Amino acid sequence: MNRRLTASTVALLALLVAFFGVFLVYPVAYILRGAFFVGGKFTMEFFRLVVASPLTLKSILNSFWLGIFVTALTALLTLPLAHVFTRYDFRGKSLLGALLLVPLIMPPFVGAIGMRQFFARYGSVNLLFGTHIDWLGDGGFWGVVVLQTLSLYPIMFLNVTAAMANVDPTLREAAQNLGASPWRVFRTVTLPLVLPGLFAGAILVFVWAFTDLGTPLIFGFNRLVAVQIFDRVTDIGTNPMGYVLVCVVLLLTVALFIVSKWLLAGTRYEMLARGHTAGAEQHVRGWRATTIQVGVLAVIGVALLPHASVMLQSVSDKWFFTVLPSQVTWRHFGEIFTYPLTASSVRNSLVYSGLSAGVDLVLGVMIAYVLVRQKVPGAAVLDALAMLPLALPGLVLAFGYLGGFNVPLRWLNPRDNPTLLLVAAYSVRRLPYIVRSAYAGFQQTSVTLEEASLNLGASALRTLRKITIPLVMANLIAGTVLTFSFAMLEVSDSLILAMKERYFPMTKAIWALLGRIEPDSVSVASAMGILGMLLLAVSLVIASKSLGKRMGQLFRAG
Amino acid sequence: MNGNDRPSNNMNVSLQHLSKKLGNVAAVNDVTLDIADGELFFLLGPSGCGKTTLLRLIAGFYPTDSGTIRFGGKPMNDVPPNKRNTGMVFQNYALWPHMTVHENVAYGLDVRAVSTAEKKRRVMQALDVVRMAAQSERSPNELSGGQQQRVALARALVVQPDVLLLDEPLSNLDAKLRLELREEIRRIHRELRVTTIYVTHDQQEALSLADRIAVMRDGRVEQTGTPQALYRKPANEFVEDFLGVANFVEGRVTEVSGSQVSVATPQGDMLCTFDGQALSVGQTVTCVIRPQDVIVLK
Repeated sequence: MNRRLTASTVALLALLVAFFGVFLVYPVAYILRGAFFVGGKFTMEFFRLVVASPLTLKSILNSFWLGIFVTALTALLTLPLAHVFTRYDFRGKSLLGALLLVPLIMPPFVGAIGMRQFFARYGSVNLLFGTHIDWLGDGGFWGVVVLQTLSLYPIMFLNVTAAMANVDPTLREAAQNLGASPWRVFRTVTLPLVLPGLFAGAILVFVWAFTDLGTPLIFGFNRLVAVQIFDRVTDIGTNPMGYVLVCVVLLLTVALFIVSKWLLAGTRYEMLARGHTAGAEQHVRGWRATTIQVGVLAVIGVALLPHASVMLQSVSDKWFFTVLPSQVTWRHFGEIFTYPLTASSVRNSLVYSGLSAGVDLVLGVMIAYVLVRQKVPGAAVLDALAMLPLALPGLVLAFGYLGGFNVPLRWLNPRDNPTLLLVAAYSVRRLPYIVRSAYAGFQQTSVTLEEASLNLGASALRTLRKITIPLVMANLIAGTVLTFSFAMLEVSDSLILAMKERYFPMTKAIWALLGRIEPDSVSVASAMGILGMLLLAVSLVIASKSLGKRMGQLFRAG
Repeated sequence: MNGNDRPSNNMNVSLQHLSKKLGNVAAVNDVTLDIADGELFFLLGPSGCGKTTLLRLIAGFYPTDSGTIRFGGKPMNDVPPNKRNTGMVFQNYALWPHMTVHENVAYGLDVRAVSTAEKKRRVMQALDVVRMAAQSERSPNELSGGQQQRVALARALVVQPDVLLLDEPLSNLDAKLRLELREEIRRIHRELRVTTIYVTHDQQEALSLADRIAVMRDGRVEQTGTPQALYRKPANEFVEDFLGVANFVEGRVTEVSGSQVSVATPQGDMLCTFDGQALSVGQTVTCVIRPQDVIVLK
């Protein structure tokens, strides 16, 4: 490990700085300028307008409460699940654990399409019971809350489970030994020690819920800040309010990350030497095991309801004012490839996602390599830049691209051809996953293996190519596959940046289909959703096969 | 805190035919032991012999497969660990990193709803006993291994447990500290006279501290007795070997007279003492030579 800067390292750093400068720092700076400067002069005037407008103020508050409710519900749902999965061993545990993560393979807005059919005023549930209940609640607000909770809880589950598994079992036993009841042990020992992990998950979930665009659009609930921003995309050149709202979102998420860092400062306990762990997982049988299995299955059942409803919608031929579709057909899956819009969107998505996964693979390996092996000055800045997109909502980035790259270059301006910027947006947003994955791989690989190669006269680049990369291949495959599949299902970037139909990716095509009046379009949209789910499911299986148990690490914030 | 604070009833620990399987291994196999009130009792054996499992059975962290556990005559098998009133010191100390030293020690008293004034008095008293009162507002992360060990001991003692359980309490410390804390434990036990069960794999620790020792192997108790008895009259080669450095020489008995026996060995003739079963001339035996019994004459 040398501290000297070689020419190749400098070139590498320059490339990274250029990429982050153009595709991350510049668009964010552009938004800040749009919100705070008019004619070159600093102003806070627009923020006064936000507060003065009842609709925007209400939207911001609604989004805030949405985030709070979703975060609280995922935490409440997750704590008992994580408790059961870290403390007990029971039949079917690994299968149930995998099923719990299934909601990760579908963006909530696709699920919303199916759930709308179930729970709308003239949906299946009301028809079945002859009622007229507004299940989606308050114009759709509670529908959005439930849908987001059901699709975001796996992120919380992974974070909390990791934190709980990290709590030395003897710490609980010591409390028990001193007379504490199980509830008291949880309250005074387990919960305080799990809090950092819970917080890390909560921030991700909150930001995700706060900025999610797809679900409220489907439910037609537009008094949310994300939808308000989306509505202002069309007059981006003339009305600064869009920038101001994006700025509010950005400031709020950044503030949240800073507050959490400050709150958690000093609470990340280094666990002292671990004790006897034989008693870590208690094997349960009989009625206790049954209670656990039934409870977990109930959660899975509810969580998979959106998936089931989309599946049903995708095979329905006629489904009007009946509880279940009156006719069933597989035709819509075929139509994906014959409709011009859908066929081109599948192709576009594959191209965009493939390119962005490639870009991420190269950048991720470089960043991780520099961070782990080179010890360059400013490594902390590089690390922060690579991880920043975790806190940066897709909405903010897309809006910045749309405004910042409104230039007379056909290949760059998203109004003419969004390919480059969509690939850049997907890459930037998913870079943290592959960096983390590659980082872990490099850390687990002994540096002496590389030194042996250098010792035999190979150049640094040759060593990287011949020795290092083959050794961390499993991590790279997993990271790349995940980047690819999440790019396929990216919502807010796609909805905002793709403006011409022939450049639509799948998610935008699904959204466009829902706006059409042809009777089949909703079913074809659902069929596309199912196709996306299958694709993502296959990707996740490949990723977990190559990473094994370390899979969960990729979705953790800490 | 002194012996008079303890409940006056006779807190002996009685284990009858105790067995426990972990996985497919019989970790504790038909163990019967009677530990007297106020005794400093050692469970000694190599790692994996089941001594820690036995201690955890007594604490209630594992359910027993068969056999009974009694404290002062009261059956304990169905009593959950938080109702057994044992004080355990864990091998890794298990101090809670999110609480100060004072909060750690006060925890058991909070559970027992002791009044604030009384709690403060007893915590400081317990910290005094282990000579850690000055560090009461520190976080466990700021303490050395030896200091953590003392806090863990104070935390277990402050609740006035019926039985004190020590799981390899000194194994994570360096040699010098180990000697120091050994003396400390001896002093505290003399002061408090609480029934104590001490698990260790270090035979010197056991021989120097114990009232009585049970030597364990493969989940079974090989021999129980005072240190002198075990050392002088090991029941079998395992106990003998485990208790200390010794030389074994094989040979044939040539003459028996009383408790003395002459043995012909490749190294020459030896005069040995023995007890137990009778020996006869011509039998093959193993003689044991303790290093400290060898006197070199000029």
